[in-house]
Amino acid sequence: MSSMTMSPRIASWLQATPFTLIMTCLVMVPLAIILAVSFMDYGFAEIIPEFYLGNWTDLFRSSLTVDTYATVFRQLAMVWSITLVLGFTISYYLVFHVRSNMWRAIFLAACAIPFWTSGPIRMISWVPLLGREGLVNQALFGMGLIDQPISWLLYSEFSVILVYVNMLTMAMAGPIANSMAKISPSIIQAARDQGASEWQVIQEVIIPLIKPGIVVGTIFIITAVMGDGFLVRAMSGNQMNTPAVAIMNEINAFQFPPAAAKSVVLLVIVLGMVGLLLRFVDIRKELAR
Amino acid sequence: MGTKRTTSFYVLSFVFAAFLIFLYGPMFCVYLLSFQGPEGGMSFPMRGFSTVWFETLFTAGGRGVGDIHNSFIRSLRLGAIVALLTMLIGLAVGMSFRRRYPGGNFVFYSAIVSMIVPGIFVGFGISLTLNMLGMRPQWWYSGIGAQLTWSLPFAMLIMFIILGRMDKSYEEAATDLGANSFQRFQYVILPLILPGVIGMFMAGFTSSYEEAARAGLNIGTGNTMPMELTGLLGAATTPVMFAVGTLTTLFMFTMVIVTLLASWSLAKRRQLRLTAHHA
Amino acid sequence: MKIDTDFNAKNLMPEAEPPVEDGATKYDVELVAVSKSYDGGAKAVDTISLRIPKASYCCLLGPSGCGKTTTLRMLAGHESVTDGDVLIHNRNVTDGAPSARGTSMMFQSYALFPHLSALDNAAFSLKIKGVKKAERHAKAMEFLKLVQMDHLAHRMPAQLSGGQQQRVALARSLITRPKVLLLDEPLSALDPFLRVLMRTELKRIQTELGITFVHVTHSQEEALALSDLVVVMSDGQIMQAGSARDVFEKPSNAFVAKFIGGHNVIDVEGRKVSVRADKCRIVQSVGGTNIPAEVTNIEYQGPMVRILVKDSDGKEYHAQISDSRFFADPPVIGEKVTFSWMPEDEWRLAA
Repeated sequence: MSSMTMSPRIASWLQATPFTLIMTCLVMVPLAIILAVSFMDYGFAEIIPEFYLGNWTDLFRSSLTVDTYATVFRQLAMVWSITLVLGFTISYYLVFHVRSNMWRAIFLAACAIPFWTSGPIRMISWVPLLGREGLVNQALFGMGLIDQPISWLLYSEFSVILVYVNMLTMAMAGPIANSMAKISPSIIQAARDQGASEWQVIQEVIIPLIKPGIVVGTIFIITAVMGDGFLVRAMSGNQMNTPAVAIMNEINAFQFPPAAAKSVVLLVIVLGMVGLLLRFVDIRKELAR
Repeated sequence: MGTKRTTSFYVLSFVFAAFLIFLYGPMFCVYLLSFQGPEGGMSFPMRGFSTVWFETLFTAGGRGVGDIHNSFIRSLRLGAIVALLTMLIGLAVGMSFRRRYPGGNFVFYSAIVSMIVPGIFVGFGISLTLNMLGMRPQWWYSGIGAQLTWSLPFAMLIMFIILGRMDKSYEEAATDLGANSFQRFQYVILPLILPGVIGMFMAGFTSSYEEAARAGLNIGTGNTMPMELTGLLGAATTPVMFAVGTLTTLFMFTMVIVTLLASWSLAKRRQLRLTAHHA
Repeated sequence: MKIDTDFNAKNLMPEAEPPVEDGATKYDVELVAVSKSYDGGAKAVDTISLRIPKASYCCLLGPSGCGKTTTLRMLAGHESVTDGDVLIHNRNVTDGAPSARGTSMMFQSYALFPHLSALDNAAFSLKIKGVKKAERHAKAMEFLKLVQMDHLAHRMPAQLSGGQQQRVALARSLITRPKVLLLDEPLSALDPFLRVLMRTELKRIQTELGITFVHVTHSQEEALALSDLVVVMSDGQIMQAGSARDVFEKPSNAFVAKFIGGHNVIDVEGRKVSVRADKCRIVQSVGGTNIPAEVTNIEYQGPMVRILVKDSDGKEYHAQISDSRFFADPPVIGEKVTFSWMPEDEWRLAA
């Protein structure tokens, strides 16, 4: 029973050691290696460990860089605003309008169950709906609204945004609902007592109090959209280029140093955005509440 | 509350129902089309009902199903190991947060960083590190390791939330009653956090089973399920993909239900034991 | 706790209606056969009727689960009424919105908006009405002054003590100029010292403003100290409604006598009577009822001493005697005494 005499501090350190080792060796060090490799030269499928700035000069000279970032920021803006409005509406309904705990649990489960189907399958599930011969086109044709199939429903920016919204709305709704559930019902009643309409309660009381939830949800959306290459490739039919797609393409072509340089830029941007957001909320305090 | 319903309730109910249709619509297409007749394609209409696409899956070397069998087994094996490690390491780091200690913030924020760094960078970074060290990726170390960087932060958060809300006086009471640290853990803490421990196992399994961005470059030879399916996406021309979707959903469904039932019966047994003691 | 002498609280209520002479609005609140049941289940409140006269301090008193809080929430409009009518100032508000009733509720947890300063909390209803910032802050400051919180106006709720939060909540409720202020166990979260202080404060503000306060409590001491009208409730019904003195001296039934405390409920020749403990003695009373008993416990309460005794059948009684009389000849536990009272101190209870 050595732990009986062990100081609590050492016990905590020992308990945290395996976790910290994994986070350091498999997250921190690899991220540092990416930075290092971005300054190295490369040949065919090999990294040449010599100092080389070419990856960076290529990156900043290429007009492709600006284009890919323009694309991903446009997508991020759309996905964020749609998931925010939709996620807020759903959480607001579940927390403040559904009164029975049983129904709330059932509705929450209903929102989670579709995510048990694997991601690639859920992407391909849009084909029978949105394809040229898909249900939507068939229905529009049947109603006489169109005389030839709409082609921009699938493999387009529209389908990319649609599937993002489909996959990420719950990531926004979850933290918001969590923040909302922490608002005591008597605070809402007090606001109603003071003459506030439902809309005024939302504006003056609920929105200021769920800011932490919105921040956390926003972080999820940012990292998902900025870091994703699979969904964009699949749903745009390999037609759209975002920074993550560009990096994946270079990795697949074994051009590691330029991919590393691009990764560093994207990482700095993502971490910068998240760091900025975290200034507004103390995550550790939020979780312990 | 017990006050009358307002118009906004009905409007919001409608929005929520529409959202559920948005979530389930495509999924039901998958389930339905997996029973497409042998002559049918990847779109409606259904040309009869059949289980021919499921049969294709189970007869080796079917039409464009790739190596789905082995990928599934690889994914299960990987998921089980990752889940177990996630549970154990998560439990340990969670317990470390029962007290404040120097470096605690570093541990906490390293998990947050691992959560918010997009997966491909972690995967790419690990693969570069192996490359620099001159090692070849293998599923049993780099594959598992890469996935742990994704599952462990969630496990830590689960423990952080559960233990953070647990009254510290339980442990103090146990100490007052003469329990040593192992007895305290075994008789007081573990029973209270058992649902969270099961939760960590499940979170570990599902995150591993779904994860490809980190493991993809580090798994070595042989695809896992999500990698295999992503590979098949572009090439899919028949409803066989939908059959895979239906089956894997059924599998996940079973897993979740079994876990829920297990934790429910565990809680029930404890309840019974308690009432037996009181009787 | 000094009040600014130039400060007249009544000026804060300019819209309060002038006193009405005709009998129609003698009452601030009327409940007519009001019931509440949940999902067709048992009645939480069972057909209660009650009239609260103008400008009175009314306490709803009872054990937890007696329906007092439900009654208050129905008055506030936070709970729908299953059956019956609620009238405020002679206007039927049974189905009215909370803010349209002329009531304002002070919550047990205070329910201050955590993201707003004390000043902005108090000014909230004015902001909702669209009052300009400078004007609403000035007005809110007046009300914070009324509750002696003007010096902490810019603090956030988390930076205020329980008692201070309560004062802000009070200001926030009063600024809507309610005809009736509803208070849900307002003192229960405070420590005993602060509780007595706030109690005095509530009574002062009620008197100064001249509006009705309806105050839910489970403390008989609080109810007796504050009320013009005490309403004792049990199992969703009103057991007794009357002045504090009436309720204490003339409890209508055994429940009220026991709940209000300080009474012995005794069977005398097949009927129930109550006898105030302070009228009982532990010596022989000539011409009274005398019961041989044994002292089981003695509680020193300062000016009074409470003595518990048990007779040969095991029935328990208690007497409260002044400390001077007690210490003149102090009994000890286990001593044989005579428990006695006079017939004129018996109060006959309803069956």
